Amino acid sequence: MMNIADVIFEQTYRFDELTIDLDQLSRDLGYEFDDLPEPFAGYLEQVVDDCRHLTDICGTYRLMDCVHSGDGARTVMAGNVEFKVGKTIANELLRAEKLAVFVCTAGKTISEKSAVFLKGDDPVLGYVYDIMGSAITEAVGDEIQQVISREVSLLGEKITNRYSPGYCHWNVADQHKLFSLFPAAPCGVTLTASALMHPVKSISGVIGIGKNVVFRHYQCDLCNMPNCVYRGK
Amino acid sequence: MNELLTKLAECVEFGKINKAAPFPPQMKGQDGADEITRQALDSGVPAQDILGEGLMPGMERVGIKFRENKVFVPQVLMSAKAMSTAMVHLKPYFASGEAKQKGTFIIGTVQGDLHDIGKNLVAMMVEGNGYKVVDLGTDCPAEKYLAAIRENPGAVIGLSALLTTTMTSMEKITREIKNAFPETLVAVGGAPVNDDFRLKIGADVYAPDPQGVVEFLNTKIA
Repeated sequence: MMNIADVIFEQTYRFDELTIDLDQLSRDLGYEFDDLPEPFAGYLEQVVDDCRHLTDICGTYRLMDCVHSGDGARTVMAGNVEFKVGKTIANELLRAEKLAVFVCTAGKTISEKSAVFLKGDDPVLGYVYDIMGSAITEAVGDEIQQVISREVSLLGEKITNRYSPGYCHWNVADQHKLFSLFPAAPCGVTLTASALMHPVKSISGVIGIGKNVVFRHYQCDLCNMPNCVYRGK
Repeated sequence: MNELLTKLAECVEFGKINKAAPFPPQMKGQDGADEITRQALDSGVPAQDILGEGLMPGMERVGIKFRENKVFVPQVLMSAKAMSTAMVHLKPYFASGEAKQKGTFIIGTVQGDLHDIGKNLVAMMVEGNGYKVVDLGTDCPAEKYLAAIRENPGAVIGLSALLTTTMTSMEKITREIKNAFPETLVAVGGAPVNDDFRLKIGADVYAPDPQGVVEFLNTKIA
C-alpha cells in the first residue's frame, strides 16, 4: 500500500491558466465591468498584462492520514501533527479519513508591487495589484482543490471545502505546524515568527478527504465580514 | 465660503488630483486639488482655512459616502491622493505652526495580522479630517504602540485586525496600553470586531468604518 504521506504535489501556474473573475474585480473597484471608468479600466488592463509575465504563481499540497483523537470536537490530526482548528472546522472535517494540507501563492512579484504602489505615488494602482493578487491566490487554491478532487474521486472519495488558519477561530499560530509538513519554503512561501506568510498574497490550509465527507459552502453567518472572498463560496 | 475652497472640497470629494488626472470623468480638464490649493494660498487664503474649510469637508463627505456604500475603496484612495497632494502645499505652514492639526492618532494592525487596506483607509480619512497620523504599519506588538504613545503624549490609539484569531492580540494590546497609560483612548475596528468585543477588552470605542473613527476623535479631542 502506498504511504500517502510521501505524496507531495507542486505546480507553478501561468496567469492565463487560472480562472480570474474580472467582473468580480471590477465590482471590487466599485463598478460593473462594462462601466469601468478611467483610470480604473486602464489600471486593470495594465495589471492583467503585467500578470501575464509572472513566473512565481505556485500551489502545493501533501496528502496526510487524518486521525481524530483527543479533543475531537476542536482538533484534528494530520499524521502526528495536531491542528487546533476549532469547533466549526473540526465539525466539517469530522468524517475525513485523509487531509490535504496546501500552500498557494500569487508569488513575491505581485505582492511586492502591490505594497510599493500602495505606499507610494499610486495607491489606486497598488490596490488593483492587491485585489488581483488575492484573486490569483484564490484561483490557485481553486486549481489545487480541483486537482485533489479529481485525484480522490478515482478512489471513490470526496473533498470538503478548504479551511485556513486565521479563520473560524483556527489560530494562525498553527501555520508553523502546517508548514512543518513541507520542505522549507514550499512554493517560496515562508513564515514570520508570528506565523504570517511571505509573500503576503499566499494562503495555506487543509481540505478533508473521505468517502463520507460533505462539501459545504462557507458558513457566512458566523462572520460579519461583508467583502470576504470566501462569502458564498 | 471662498469659491476656491468650495471647489477644493469637491476635488477631494470626487478624487480630482490635478488638471492632468483623467478621474473623475465629469471633471476632466478642470483644475484639481493640486492647482486649487496653490491658487488659494497665492490669493491669501490662510492654510488653516484651506484645511478646515476645503479639504476636511471634502474628506468628510467621502467618509459618509463610503459608510453608505455609495463609493468604494478606489474612490476613497483617489480622494486621499487628492488630499495628500494638497497637503504637500500646506506642510510648511504646519511646520511653522501657522496652521495646526487637531491632535495625533496612532494606528497599526495588531500583532499576528498583515492586513492593512482597512487600516490605511482609516489613516487616510483621519489625516484628511485634520489630524496628524502616526502609522505603525502591520503585525505590531504592544511595545510598538507603547513606544509611540511615549513619543506622542495625548494621542488616541487605533487598533485594526482582520483575522478572528488576532482579536486575542487586540485584547492583549488594549490591556497593556490601559495598564501603562490609563487615560489613553483606544479605538478598535476591523471585520471580526464588534461593540460587545470592544466592551469585553476595555477599549473606548468600536468604529465600524473610517468615518466612525473621525467622529469619535472629533468628539473627544478636536
